[in-house]
Amino acid sequence: MTLQDATYSSGTDDSPLGPRTGLSRSRFFLSNEFGLILLIAIFAIIFGFATKGFFSPFNLFALGRNSAVNIMIGLSMMSVIVTGGLNLAVGAMGVCAAMVCGWMIESLGIPWPLAIAGGLAFGALLGWINGWTVVRTGLHSFIITLATMSIFFGVMIFLTKAEAFRELPPVFTEFGRARVLGYVSPLLLVTLVVAVLLAWLYRGTVLGREMLAAGASPAAAELSGIRVGRMVILCHMLSGALAGIAALMLVARNGAAIPSMAGQLGQDWLLPAFLGPVLGGTLLQGGKVSVLGTVLGAFLVTMLTSGLLMLQIGAFWVQSFLGLMLLVAVLLDKARRSYLARRNLA
Amino acid sequence: MQQISRLSRTDWFGPLLATVLAIAIIGSLSKNFLSPYNIQILLLAIAVNALIAFAQMIIIAIGQMNLSVGAIGGLAAISFAGMMEVWGLPALPAALLALVIGLLCGVLNGVLVRITGISAFVITLATLSIYKGINLGITEAQPFYGVPAAVKAFGAATILGPIPWLLAPTIAATVALWYMLRRLPVGRFILAVGSNDHAAGLSGISVGATVVIAHGISGFLAALAGILVVARLQIGQPSIGDDWLILSFAAPVIGGAVLAGGHVSVTATALGVVIVAIITQALVLFSIDPFLVQVVLGALILAAVGLNKLRARDTAKGSL
Repeated sequence: MTLQDATYSSGTDDSPLGPRTGLSRSRFFLSNEFGLILLIAIFAIIFGFATKGFFSPFNLFALGRNSAVNIMIGLSMMSVIVTGGLNLAVGAMGVCAAMVCGWMIESLGIPWPLAIAGGLAFGALLGWINGWTVVRTGLHSFIITLATMSIFFGVMIFLTKAEAFRELPPVFTEFGRARVLGYVSPLLLVTLVVAVLLAWLYRGTVLGREMLAAGASPAAAELSGIRVGRMVILCHMLSGALAGIAALMLVARNGAAIPSMAGQLGQDWLLPAFLGPVLGGTLLQGGKVSVLGTVLGAFLVTMLTSGLLMLQIGAFWVQSFLGLMLLVAVLLDKARRSYLARRNLA
Repeated sequence: MQQISRLSRTDWFGPLLATVLAIAIIGSLSKNFLSPYNIQILLLAIAVNALIAFAQMIIIAIGQMNLSVGAIGGLAAISFAGMMEVWGLPALPAALLALVIGLLCGVLNGVLVRITGISAFVITLATLSIYKGINLGITEAQPFYGVPAAVKAFGAATILGPIPWLLAPTIAATVALWYMLRRLPVGRFILAVGSNDHAAGLSGISVGATVVIAHGISGFLAALAGILVVARLQIGQPSIGDDWLILSFAAPVIGGAVLAGGHVSVTATALGVVIVAIITQALVLFSIDPFLVQVVLGALILAAVGLNKLRARDTAKGSL
């Protein structure tokens, strides 16, 4: 076993493609996911004691609703990181998909289930544009999605004249306000179902394994008969659809499809989009993915934001804190990897 | 014929041709385009945008990217305005301190990238959030209005006809950067590290120091851009720098910079800034929806990377 093999196989997953068997108990305790669970538990206790009402049903409900969106944004980015690429346009694509959904309901009078499907399909179409351009030009997805982020958002603002669709059927707001079992938002349930489906995709289906293989080593994947270009396009389409779901959840929360809900050019989504996957141990080089890690990472971020706001540290400092956390997280991950690599060699 | 093909291979030829064509076409369509007032507005935009583009270009030169250019510029801008309003500092020391802040922010980026070995993308995404958060924490999203009259006057003053004083720092920075990348060892080191950091390290260049220096320069230029924006807007707005990300990449890419590193051109990047400014201005003159500016910027980036790709293929064929 070479040094490099050791570094890569020592994480939570074995080889990028190998089945995830033999995850011994000691390995689990050193895994990223366990670290995240521990952090979530520690911070939950701290916030529980330090603030009033952190565990109140209302706050748990709000927490679930916010984390549902953040997790979905993280999953959207994760599905492109799988190929070793990036998608800076997640915010722009999500908002575009939600606006198309709103337009279909308001201007075309299409029933809402069809409009939702239409919005998600539109998100996937935008993803297809990204993926196709990346594959055809052979350029890095960073520069392509930087350009398309600007194009998608600009066209959307131009067509909507920056006005929101507010006359949505009450089913959206009802879904956003509904509570299951007293304090669980149905939005969180949607997110969890999507996460389970994604985990099954990457763990149990040929398509998912081929996506991972295409990300781990495009040349090797190509030689094994996988159509790498098609996989990259599919990953981008998946990312677009997931971004659309995230934006539709925001629509349910706000009760309207607002062009500025992801900030200028959708840039507000960038940080949450990367925080989840990076905290969760998804390799930015591609080929390795942890759905559970992404979910836990995004949840931790949402919980910390909510807790810090309740501690009244000052709403404006929260962003600095999130950046600091991203920094600490990547450093810890690096330290953990090198520790495991050394232990494996010894 | 030989000469034309040699010219077409230089970085600056294409952008120069595009600039001249754009000026000719837009100038013939709209009489206002070449009016002194309009030229002054154009030059003001170029003065700031060139610095933003150079801040990114120097990082592209070492084969990395800096997402925090806007956040550093914004932080320097509000520190500059804040120090003058709250501490009552004169403009010059305040500007110097703001530049030092920018430099330190950049150096911190470089040090983090170098020590951790984590990609500059993730590091600068994190520091982007940290710097922006500090900016919001200090200002609480409220602008500083107390910018002294001297700074306001500098922002509005012109040297000669329509040429604004704000262009002076930009021209100085352009010449200095050009000289550095062409003639000074540190500039050559930056390009060497960008083409192949391993080879650069083996030939005795300190890769770590070079990376930190490049990030320091980037922070300094971003801070300078932030200060110029304060002088132009006449207030220290916390949102300065929010929309710099696309701008910062557009001009270097139009100027033929290779994103993998090792190949940038100051002249061509400056021409890229001019092209972007002219096109943005033309959209305003023809009263086209300002929202479409974003679309045009994105399309320009795509077109430029596509052209660069084609050009690289031609050059490769030509050398065979």
